[in-house]
Amino acid sequence: MQSDSITPDTVADNVRRAAIDKSVRGPVLFLFLNGAFWLMLATLLGVLSAVKLIAPAFLEGCPYISYGRLQPAHINALVYGWGVQAALGVMLWIMARRSGQELRSGKSLLIAAGVFWNITITFGILGVLMNKSTSMEWLEMPKWTWPILLLCFLTYAWPMARMFGRAFRPEGFMVSTWYILGACFWFPWIFITANVALHCLPGLGALGAGINAWYVHAVILLFFVPVGIGAAYYFIPKITGQPIASAQLASGGFWGLAILGGWTGMQKYMGGPLPAWMPAVGAFTAVMLLIPVGLVGLNHHLTTLGKHSSVATSPTLRFIFFGSLFYPVSGVVLALISTFWSGAAMQFTQAWYAFQMVSVYGFFSMCAFGAIYYIVPRLSGCEWLSVRLIRNHFWFSVYGVSTIVIMGLVAGWQQGADLNNPAFWDQNFMNHVINSRPYVVARAVAFGLISFSNALFLLHLMLMVAGLGRRSNAPTLLHREHHDEQALPTGSHA
Amino acid sequence: MNFRTFILGLAASFGLPWLLLIVVPAMKYQSLAPVAYDKEKDGMDGIYPPAPVNGQGQLVYVREGCNQCHTQMIRPVQLGLDGWYKGWGQDQEARPAAPVRSNRLEDYLGEKYALLGVQRIGPDLANAGWRLTDRAKVHQHLFSPKSVHDWSTMPSYAHLYKVQKIQGPPSDRAIKLPKKFALPAGYEAVPTPEAEVLVDYLFSLKRDFPVPGQIAPVAAAAPAPAKK
Repeated sequence: MQSDSITPDTVADNVRRAAIDKSVRGPVLFLFLNGAFWLMLATLLGVLSAVKLIAPAFLEGCPYISYGRLQPAHINALVYGWGVQAALGVMLWIMARRSGQELRSGKSLLIAAGVFWNITITFGILGVLMNKSTSMEWLEMPKWTWPILLLCFLTYAWPMARMFGRAFRPEGFMVSTWYILGACFWFPWIFITANVALHCLPGLGALGAGINAWYVHAVILLFFVPVGIGAAYYFIPKITGQPIASAQLASGGFWGLAILGGWTGMQKYMGGPLPAWMPAVGAFTAVMLLIPVGLVGLNHHLTTLGKHSSVATSPTLRFIFFGSLFYPVSGVVLALISTFWSGAAMQFTQAWYAFQMVSVYGFFSMCAFGAIYYIVPRLSGCEWLSVRLIRNHFWFSVYGVSTIVIMGLVAGWQQGADLNNPAFWDQNFMNHVINSRPYVVARAVAFGLISFSNALFLLHLMLMVAGLGRRSNAPTLLHREHHDEQALPTGSHA
Repeated sequence: MNFRTFILGLAASFGLPWLLLIVVPAMKYQSLAPVAYDKEKDGMDGIYPPAPVNGQGQLVYVREGCNQCHTQMIRPVQLGLDGWYKGWGQDQEARPAAPVRSNRLEDYLGEKYALLGVQRIGPDLANAGWRLTDRAKVHQHLFSPKSVHDWSTMPSYAHLYKVQKIQGPPSDRAIKLPKKFALPAGYEAVPTPEAEVLVDYLFSLKRDFPVPGQIAPVAAAAPAPAKK
């Protein structure tokens, strides 16, 4: 509110912030731009794979895009192309800002790591399409890729850990950097474990499948979720101008996730060959995770209470707000597909896809979009060009991903009911195939909408990175008049 | 809390499930070995599981990503109807006396990675080896799924077959297609070695052999005893 009173202190602060932003500018913009490109590709592949699931005769002459290869390519592009890159960019910027540290050296090393990451996943995904898939979920890329991806990730994780260590204050409470450090720390651990178990050990049979399911859940819960929550904990207080409502809730949510997150996953194969306690533990923790999820949700709710007008004006807060709404939703979906009573009905159905989408797209990506809308103007020195582009991106994403998730869950219920329908016991799969078809049509349409919005997003981001944004001191807000001092103190947009 | 306790907390909270859920089971798995049937108790000879699946064909299955739509896992009857589906086990009778047993860790012994599956868009293949009997029919299904079921959403794996001009007498390995789906006159489709090993693999999928020590006379146990 004292945005007009310029004191020497605020000038010094702004100079320091600008220096930090400048130090991470190259790597962060590189990651965002490439991530946005992969995101658009991933959603286009999503359209295509949904189409191939309904009409396999479409482009039948081309064996490289049969559903069994296309679907993994779509997921891998989304997870490694967009997800991890966007996450690393957001993590690096927030970590630098929150710990007040400039990136001291190794900027070119970071960019080199980013280049290698992109080259590796390009060849990896081409490999999946061209007969080299490993058919291990989320690890379909050929096995030579993983050491390179790991090294690239560690190249980013190390400076972040250094910043965190230098700025750590025992008495202070920095929940957003806690989450981000956790993500830096857990992802390599999970990635090494799964790859060593599946590629280097002599062969684990059905246990390998269990470890693979664990990997998918662990990457979601201990990498994507922490980055999403970390961003939400950083931006919500920053933009609403309110402190985080409760330190106890924040701490409980963090440690709850840390303690429970590693146990869950094997319930994907409930009733399968794994020793029964493994899926049982996974199902139990998946339900218990509702507690930390609820704590974080409550905390965000209390922090935004009474500040909902800024959700309407600030693009960042709007994306982050809806992203954080999707976090409890993804927790509920996880519990739903994990308990034995509902999970058995939804096992091996589109509900599994719905869970991946609600957590990676609905929750994580929405938070990442919010963060990108905040970060990029500070790095590129210009403001977002068009309110309409942002608004379209927002609404198409929200409606698109909601459609995909709802359709996936309903289709899952339908498929489960068909699979367990005693009337079909001696039938072929005709009923299952025909009954689930309309939901896949809806998915294709929704992915079409999302691809459209991502094309706008990519275009907008490219213009910004090229420095062609609006030259203005005022941020681009989602109101007709760009200066709405009532709703949003500009000081909070430093 | 200082920096060291924070890092220790991060490591401990994840390290515990990592150790107990992944590392220890993976180490214990290494000692899992086939067991011989006890002639006295089980009434049969040989070892369990009798034979591994066809590894060469599994590679083709893996590369094509068949597990995106086909599971290989029978669930127990309290979780799903899998065990009662017609032809999903060794017993191909219309009304089998007992459901197919659910799978155990040993059933996948010798496989580098068990392809339990992502979704079940097509039928389960855990015991497909019993169900599939006609090689030519399976080749036809892989080459042109729609010629088997017009509602099928399975992709065609025609690239595993060689469409060639008939020279001399037609190959006896050529796929027989119904008239509507027939190739142009004078052409035939023959399986490549890849298609042959893939079918070998599908034929080798038999995972419901009796478990040593658990072979009970099924007919005698009228109300199925609660097994743990």
